[in-house]
This record gives sequence, structure tokens and C-alpha cells, in this order.
Amino acid sequence: MDIPIRMIDFATAACWIFLIVFCATAAYSIKDLRLDFGNSRMATTTDNRILVSFPLNIANNGYYDIRSFNFSTKLLGEDGSTITQGSTLIPTIGIGEKLSILHNLTLDVNDVMQSDQDFLFNDTQLNITESIGMVIGEVIPVEASGNISIPWGAPLYDLKLEKPQYIAVNYTQMQVIVSISFDNHAFFNVTGEVHLRMYNSANQLIGHGQSMVDAAQHSHFDGQIDLNVAVSSITQTGRFELDFQTPLFSFGSRVIQYG
Amino acid sequence: MVEDEKSSAIRPRKLIVRVLRATIKGLLFFALYYVCWLFLAPFAKMIPDLQQTVQIFVRVYICLVVVGELTAGTIYQHFFGVANDLFVISYLILSLNSGMFSMTYQNVALEVDLRLFLMIATMLSFIGLSKTILQAINFVSKKAENAPT
Repeated sequence: MDIPIRMIDFATAACWIFLIVFCATAAYSIKDLRLDFGNSRMATTTDNRILVSFPLNIANNGYYDIRSFNFSTKLLGEDGSTITQGSTLIPTIGIGEKLSILHNLTLDVNDVMQSDQDFLFNDTQLNITESIGMVIGEVIPVEASGNISIPWGAPLYDLKLEKPQYIAVNYTQMQVIVSISFDNHAFFNVTGEVHLRMYNSANQLIGHGQSMVDAAQHSHFDGQIDLNVAVSSITQTGRFELDFQTPLFSFGSRVIQYG
Repeated sequence: MVEDEKSSAIRPRKLIVRVLRATIKGLLFFALYYVCWLFLAPFAKMIPDLQQTVQIFVRVYICLVVVGELTAGTIYQHFFGVANDLFVISYLILSLNSGMFSMTYQNVALEVDLRLFLMIATMLSFIGLSKTILQAINFVSKKAENAPT
């Protein structure tokens, strides 16, 4: 009985040593993995979407190959719902290998606005959840996750309609001139059409007009919209409804009171 | 009468040998812990409770090994051996949170799936436990064989 017991002793001791050495080297492999995140960049794509690029430098200084390296990002809405997500998979990163990758996340501004229209009018932050998953030493799955914020400049910051000016065209018609101004804080140009509808205090549509908008990135825009309105329908107070149609986004009915 | 005198002279010597063996074993385990800690120290900054967890484990483990060594040659040695194996199994399961190890370091949540490691470690501990039980059976059967009829 002594010999079998000693054999079990030796076998388990050898297994323990192997297991501890493997775990220690795997832990050091995680520690020696270098991940350098560059500054994220934003651009527009040909299909009028926004492309957020995350440069990532990876250096595997560990003792094992890294398998199934998966970098994923997720843009969450105010209610926690996923607006958009993207992932980049690298099947294998060898020992001592250094890689530079560019992870892309595309987003539709309309989808972002569905979550919160504030993105159009106020400078804010895009909260992005990042997650990196990998398998070290073939058997140990590791996942790291965190949140980053990317500054977001509002394309229609400080959107204002000035007090309407009334110019008589004839006895029945009047031209209403409404000045519009905003600051484009976004990284893209705002080019498109703006539609304005005028309602009187009785909630009747009394006129509508449209104008072209072309505001370069990080610039101030001043313009005006002309409307022809029947004199009899004009009241002291009422409201304007403003619609924007651009290739990147369209949004409807920003209500601004007048009078 | 002469045999009785001989056995009473042997007993203190045996006890001294046991104490010496237990001391050497305890010191060896402590030395091993210090050497291992040199490698684990870089992780202590990232995992706040690591040092405390390892220290408690090492202290209890060494205590059980020393007590087991002091009771060598008796059935109690095997009791402490079983206690040691059960302690290793339960401490591994508890400290590794059933294999899903998670921590937060500088706003980054890290999750390591150690279930396979835990499974292998638990299996090895169970093999150790069965070996200790076999040793106890062997010890009892040998004692029964040597008993005067």
C-alpha cells in the first residue's frame, strides 16, 4: 500500500507544481500585455454616417499566445438601450507580437437623436462602453471593460429665431422675415434645408417657407427664412415649427414661440 | 523492565525529532511563501485583498501541517491531513468566488474566468484527500497486523 500512496503523492505534487506554474505565468502574461489606446477620431462616411475610430496598439509580452482577442464598443442611450455597437476580432496574437489596429464604430445621427435630441442643441459627451475579451493560455478567458466619454459638439448649438419682421406685400399678403442663427460645434458641416411653418394663436397654419443652410464645422451661421402670410390670419402671438433636412440627420418640429 | 527503560528513553527523542521536523517543515513552507510572494507582490497593488487572503491561507495551512507533523505516527496525523485537504478545497472555492474572479482597477472592470483552474485544483485536492484516507486505512491495518494476539 505504501508504494501506491507514494505514487499518488508524486503524481499530485507534479500536477500541483504544473498548475501553479501555469497560473503564475498566465497571470504574468495578463500583466505584461500592453494595450495603448490612442485618441479617438471622428469622421463622416460616404453613406452619411458618423465613423468613430479607436486606434489600439497591442504588445503581447506574455508567455502565451492570445486567442480570440475581441475589442468591442457600445454606444448606450439615456435609457440604457444600445444605439450602436461594433467589434473587432483578432484570432491570434503570438508571443512577442506587436499589433496596431483601428477599431471602428459607425453611428447614425438619427439613431442618436432618437435617444436624446439634446445631442443636436447642446454640447455633451458620448458615453461609450468598451470591452476587451481574450483567451490566455488557451484556457483562461479574461474580459476587461470600462467606460469612456468622447466630447460631442452640437451641430445646432444655440439655435435661435429672431423676432419676425413684417413687410407688407399688398393689402392681403404680408412677407414675414425670420432670422435664424446657430453655432455649428460639430466636426461635420451642416448642409441642407430648413423648413419653417408659422402658426397663429388659433393654432392655424398661416404660412411656410424654406431656406438653404450651409454651416461649416465649428462656425457660426446666420440666415433668414421668408414666409408669405395672409394679413388677416396674423395674430400677436403664435408659434414657429422648424424642421431640418440634412444628409446626416433630419429632425422635425422644434417649436419656438413668438410674440 | 529493561525494555520499559529503553522505550521511555526513546519517547523524548522521538518527540524532539517530531518537533524538529515540524519546525523545519513550517519554516520551509514560510520560506516558500516568501519566495512566492516576491512574484505575487506586483499583483497586490491591483488586487486589494490579495495579501490578506494569501496570508490567512498560508497561516492556517502551515498550522495544520505543523500539527500534523507533531502528531506523526498516530491516527490524528491523518485527521489533520484530511482537515488540511478540506481546508484547501473550501478556501479555494470561497476565495476564488466559485471561479469567476472579478476586480476593478482604475475604472476598468476585469473579469477572469478561473473555473477550469478551480476544477483542476479541486480535483487535485480531492485526490489528496483520498490519498490521506488511504494512508489512514493503511495505518490502521498495519497497527492491527502488528498488534499482539
